[in-house]
Amino acid sequence: MGPAPAGAQHRGTAGEPEVMESALEGTGKEGKKESSKKHTMAGSPVEGLLQPVKLSRAELYKEPTNEELNRLRETESLFHSSLLRLQVEELLKEVKLSEKKKERIDAFLREVNQRIMRVPSTPETELSNQAWLPVGVRVPLHQVPYTVKGCFRFLPPAQVTVVGSYLLGTCIRPDINVDVALTMPREILQDKDGLNQRYFRKRALYLAHLAHHLAQDPLFGSVRFSYTNGCHLKPSLLLRPHGKDEHLVTVRLHPCPPPDFFRPCRLLPSKNNVRSAWYRGQSPSGDGGPEPPTPYYNTWVLQDTALESHVQLLSTVLGSASGLKDGVALLKVWLRQRELDKGLGGFSGFLVSMLVAFLVSTRKIHTTMSGYQVLRSILQFLATTDLTVNGISLCFSSDPSLPALADFHQVFPVVFLDSSGRLNLCADVTASTYRQVQHEAQLSMVLLDSRADDGFQLLLMTPKPMIRAFDHILHLRPLSRLQAACHRLKLWPELQDHGGDYVSAALGPLTTLLEQGLGSRLHLLAHSRPPVSEWDISQDPPRHRDSGVLTLGLLLRPEGLTSVLELGPEADQPEAADFRQFWGSRSELRRFQDGAIREAVVWEAASMAQKRLIPHQVVTHLLALHADIPDTCIHYTGGLLDTLIQGLKETSSTGEEALAAAVRCYDDLSRLLWGLEGLPLTVSAVQGAHPVLRYTEVFPPTPVRPAYSFYEHLQERASLLPRPDKPCPAYVEPMTVVCHLEGSGQWPQDAEAIRRVRAAFQLRLAELLTQQHGVQCQATATHTDVLKDGFVFRIRVAYQREPQILRETRSPEGMISLRDTPASLRLERDTRQLPLLTSALHGLQQQHPAFSGVARLAKRWVRAQLLGEKLTDESLDLVAAALFLHPEPFTPPSSPQVGFLRFLFLVSTFDWKNNPLIVNLNNELTVEELVEIRSVFLATRTQLPVMVIITPQDRKSSIWTQDGPSPQILQQLVILAAEALPVLEKQLMDPRGPGDIRTVFRPPLDMYDVLIRLSPRHIPRHRQAVDSPAASFCRGLLSEPGPSSLMPVLGYDPPQLYLAQLREAFGDLALFFYDQHGGEVIGVLWKPTSFQPQPLKASNTKGRMVVSRGGELVMVPNVEAILEDFAILGDGLVQAVEARSERWTV
Amino acid sequence: MVARRRKRAAGTSETEILSPPGYSAIPIKFSEKQQSSHYLYIRQHRVREDTKSSWPQKRTLFVLNVPPYCTEECLSRLLSPCGPVQSVELQEKPDLAESPKEPKSRFFYPKPVPGFQVAYVVFQKPGGVSAALALKGPLLVSTESHPVKSGIHKWIRDYADSVPDPEALRVEVDTFMETYDKKIAEEEAKAKEEEGVPDEEGWVKVTRRGRRPVLPRTEAASLRVLEKERRKRARKELLNFYAWQHRETKMEHLAQLRKKFEEDKQRIELMRAQRKFRPY
Repeated sequence: MGPAPAGAQHRGTAGEPEVMESALEGTGKEGKKESSKKHTMAGSPVEGLLQPVKLSRAELYKEPTNEELNRLRETESLFHSSLLRLQVEELLKEVKLSEKKKERIDAFLREVNQRIMRVPSTPETELSNQAWLPVGVRVPLHQVPYTVKGCFRFLPPAQVTVVGSYLLGTCIRPDINVDVALTMPREILQDKDGLNQRYFRKRALYLAHLAHHLAQDPLFGSVRFSYTNGCHLKPSLLLRPHGKDEHLVTVRLHPCPPPDFFRPCRLLPSKNNVRSAWYRGQSPSGDGGPEPPTPYYNTWVLQDTALESHVQLLSTVLGSASGLKDGVALLKVWLRQRELDKGLGGFSGFLVSMLVAFLVSTRKIHTTMSGYQVLRSILQFLATTDLTVNGISLCFSSDPSLPALADFHQVFPVVFLDSSGRLNLCADVTASTYRQVQHEAQLSMVLLDSRADDGFQLLLMTPKPMIRAFDHILHLRPLSRLQAACHRLKLWPELQDHGGDYVSAALGPLTTLLEQGLGSRLHLLAHSRPPVSEWDISQDPPRHRDSGVLTLGLLLRPEGLTSVLELGPEADQPEAADFRQFWGSRSELRRFQDGAIREAVVWEAASMAQKRLIPHQVVTHLLALHADIPDTCIHYTGGLLDTLIQGLKETSSTGEEALAAAVRCYDDLSRLLWGLEGLPLTVSAVQGAHPVLRYTEVFPPTPVRPAYSFYEHLQERASLLPRPDKPCPAYVEPMTVVCHLEGSGQWPQDAEAIRRVRAAFQLRLAELLTQQHGVQCQATATHTDVLKDGFVFRIRVAYQREPQILRETRSPEGMISLRDTPASLRLERDTRQLPLLTSALHGLQQQHPAFSGVARLAKRWVRAQLLGEKLTDESLDLVAAALFLHPEPFTPPSSPQVGFLRFLFLVSTFDWKNNPLIVNLNNELTVEELVEIRSVFLATRTQLPVMVIITPQDRKSSIWTQDGPSPQILQQLVILAAEALPVLEKQLMDPRGPGDIRTVFRPPLDMYDVLIRLSPRHIPRHRQAVDSPAASFCRGLLSEPGPSSLMPVLGYDPPQLYLAQLREAFGDLALFFYDQHGGEVIGVLWKPTSFQPQPLKASNTKGRMVVSRGGELVMVPNVEAILEDFAILGDGLVQAVEARSERWTV
Repeated sequence: MVARRRKRAAGTSETEILSPPGYSAIPIKFSEKQQSSHYLYIRQHRVREDTKSSWPQKRTLFVLNVPPYCTEECLSRLLSPCGPVQSVELQEKPDLAESPKEPKSRFFYPKPVPGFQVAYVVFQKPGGVSAALALKGPLLVSTESHPVKSGIHKWIRDYADSVPDPEALRVEVDTFMETYDKKIAEEEAKAKEEEGVPDEEGWVKVTRRGRRPVLPRTEAASLRVLEKERRKRARKELLNFYAWQHRETKMEHLAQLRKKFEEDKQRIELMRAQRKFRPY
């Protein structure tokens, strides 16, 4: 049974980076030309780029044919939209088996049938005497205990039938499996074979003999054993054709008993069929007590008897209804993308087929429905029905001898009975697996209902591996530890029932334990299913612990993560004892403010980062307490990336607290500004416009306490200056705050005059703040720097009408019209859009506490790859925000780790060329507006930057990506992300520990033409480097608060000043790459186009020299002199200039 | 590259320095220590007859490819052996038009970061130009007697210069605003005078400040008026009233669907090309 395709799981974890071909082509040096951004796109229609559709009038308005009308009507009624219909059709074409292959498979099946019938019989022997088995084949079953009564002989099967999805036409590529049932002749079996695994022993011996003979046949490329759906008592034989057809098909042989051999009443869930006396070599405890029921054992026997009846049922239901078959195929794809269908207790394709049959029988699905509608109905059913409480049954007879659903609920977590009314199809499905299925179905329903444009892509084409879907991951290893856990949890009857499979036996109780312990912190707990292993017929079957590792995924509830307290019942309540028993020594009596005395558990966690890791403490504590699993066996992956965004001296916090302190200081400052007396105009708004104020600054600022002896003093202006003989002082970046003043008729209407008036306001502001509040201020023409509590803010006065005035142009006729100018756009961006964005993201952080961590990790990574300057702060923040606002098909991340993985996934798979990344802040955009935005995008694609990010405030122009990245830089980013994702995921999923987590943060340097090494003495942020140096230079800071009357050195960062000079001087010839967080090296890439000899022109001379080429005078870059210029311009900062001249030619 | 380098290494000194026709080349280095040099390409400043130029033609030297560390003072010092230098002007690109005479405010227009620039050097006598053209070099920007700061020292000096002086700023703002206010007051007085006075043909200019202000002549205002009229007309129109209107709406809907279908087909085609339909 269980026709779900199982087998090799080779599928790329990351989407291939092939989304960005053609227009963005040219890796590395080939096309590194910054200015080509718009020109490459503006050319003739670029391949792989969507063009606005142009249809002639005649075509658009011709008379419709009947067929066309029918198709349109069908699309409207059966599918969401025509796009979805086409997508579904394409997908089905891709996964369905072609007729040609079917013929080849059929031929192979006929051959198999003949070979099986030709396998010779053997004489009868005792079951415990297996000497007759030939050398080179081992029994594919753990025979514990070994001795068992009964005789065995091999006879060719009475019947060979194809069952399962191949017959129904619902099997999907890849991994085509054909399930074949071999009915063992009645002569092999004896009366009490249902008892004590005798049937399973015979079944295994039957396969062993068969395997030995088939393995000698040249028809087969490989003959191997596997477990049917991962069940350790039921091996099956896998046959693959020889030669080039090896991967075409896998034929799985399942022996089954002759019909009506077992009496169904012996196999009810309440019956015992594995005697304790036999299994444990002793009578059940207390002698004469009832034997424990063995529901799982019984189910596995029953499954074998029902193979044929199931396939008959399915073929009558699905038979001629192609829509239903399509639906089943789609559901299988859906399950497979979510890794739900594999292993023991997986929600297999067979189960969904039966579910379709059930919904057909209850008339929820009609045979004329389309595949999409079937998918939708099943998801709707799964999302709304809880089979763990209300089981369903395909059996409609009212035979009183049949057991009630309630009987099944007692022993199985999930109940779905087949048409016989005795077999629970979902017997192996654990409660957490079902809840995971339900959770996925609910997410998918929301997605389908939202009518999102790319719903299909998200629903059926996006893989959801565990590491990317769950906030925290936890590995239990080695698995043999679970054996002890089973004993500790007193699970002997379950072990007896599961035939010694302690992993499955312990799984249910363990997950229940953790779910109860994590309580309000947990949204969903999922566990990995042991993979279905294959082994050679000459080997022993893999042992239970060989499946390696048990992985649990935790989906956290952010609101539950803030509390460090586990509140128990009041001390005198009877539940208190349970609570104490559950939490053990961690439970203490506490008196609360309202006077109640309660049992409670308090976890140690001061910072947000530590609070996020409380689940780790809970899990470790509970597993040690209740299951004897020491913390050395628990490998918790949740906060491994935190070290990358931790401050210099911090080890316990990831900076959320420091950012909050800065924001509080900003709030104080804005209160001061509001209350300022004596300004000619009142302050109408104070808005933050700096990454710190939206919680996305990678390394949050700390209060500055300069040591005066370290600096030069400029007493008359109350400032400190850096000294040439000392290392570079600490980097202090002022936080920008925009201060709007009320409108007034007094403002001049001339741009130059407005600037002067603003400067006057800046001066006045500084004066008043110093007078009234005693804070240190420094005014310039464009801003006022304020030193408050060690933080430095840069206040920019703004006048709302100024961009408007900059836009005004007067036509010759005297008509005043508004035209965007670079100056007006810049002002508009800095004083209007940036504050709006900052406040929107500030709000997002309040909703999703993990946002800050994700955005900062993402930025840290991009900058570590030396691409930070090409991608603006704001654009990266918006990409990170998109992960929270549009998490489909996931849920919003609750830990920085998973958020960062999804960032890499998004960046590497998003089709930037054909889609705008829409970040619907505050949900302001309606569905109609989204459609409108997309069509405008398509029509104006060539004028837009390569990376387009749309927000409600910026619906057309994508201001934050206007000045970069260039196509080449974006492609480089995509490639790097696509490479980093699998590496990082593998590290995080490795149960032996992640190794060096910083690997993906180290940039590849071999692609650069010149490397400029910088001296750490003059890198103020040296300690922020990915590989943070153990010691660095003194930066002139005190650890104790000192007098703060002088303005510290602001924004003085020699590497940045150096880069600005380099870009200005050599921007036409080369690109410069640098990690602003403590990078010690600047990577230089020559622009190949500018290395082409240029004709002689006055504008071409910059940094070039005249040479003679074939008698003609041309200009080429004066490379030797330029290399020396690198050292001259950065005198004192540059340590060495390494030219890798083998990489370029002039 | 390798070949070229060898050739250059072999004969830097003896081979003559190439220059574009009409120009002569002078090697220029930062200091003694440097191995290779940039080249200044210089010629006498000439313009066509009809174009006006603020630079005196005979006495001005036009210099291309001035390296970023070479300042105006520095260039003046380097060229003074050829004759007394009257002024040096560094610009980002060649610019013939008159450059603004009054210097821009240093508070509102901070000095940009220099790259490679062009220079107009005006000598006091025409002889300076010809002497400069014959110069052999190499010129040294930074010498022991006149060191030029670069790197850390330069940045620290720049930082010190950028620390603002509020008093000077206040004085500048005040003087600017005084003149501005005066100018505005004059304009207003003039406008008031002209108010309601017909010109020689008898036309009276109507302004916003008159007794009955009119709509301002802006694009936005005229668009607003047009939009208002359009809406008025749309209100009166009947929709789906006549049979032909009905038919047309239906046809329009169908055309929309067809267009959408075509678009979708194109997208599918693209996705197929990107192999987006492989769920594995």
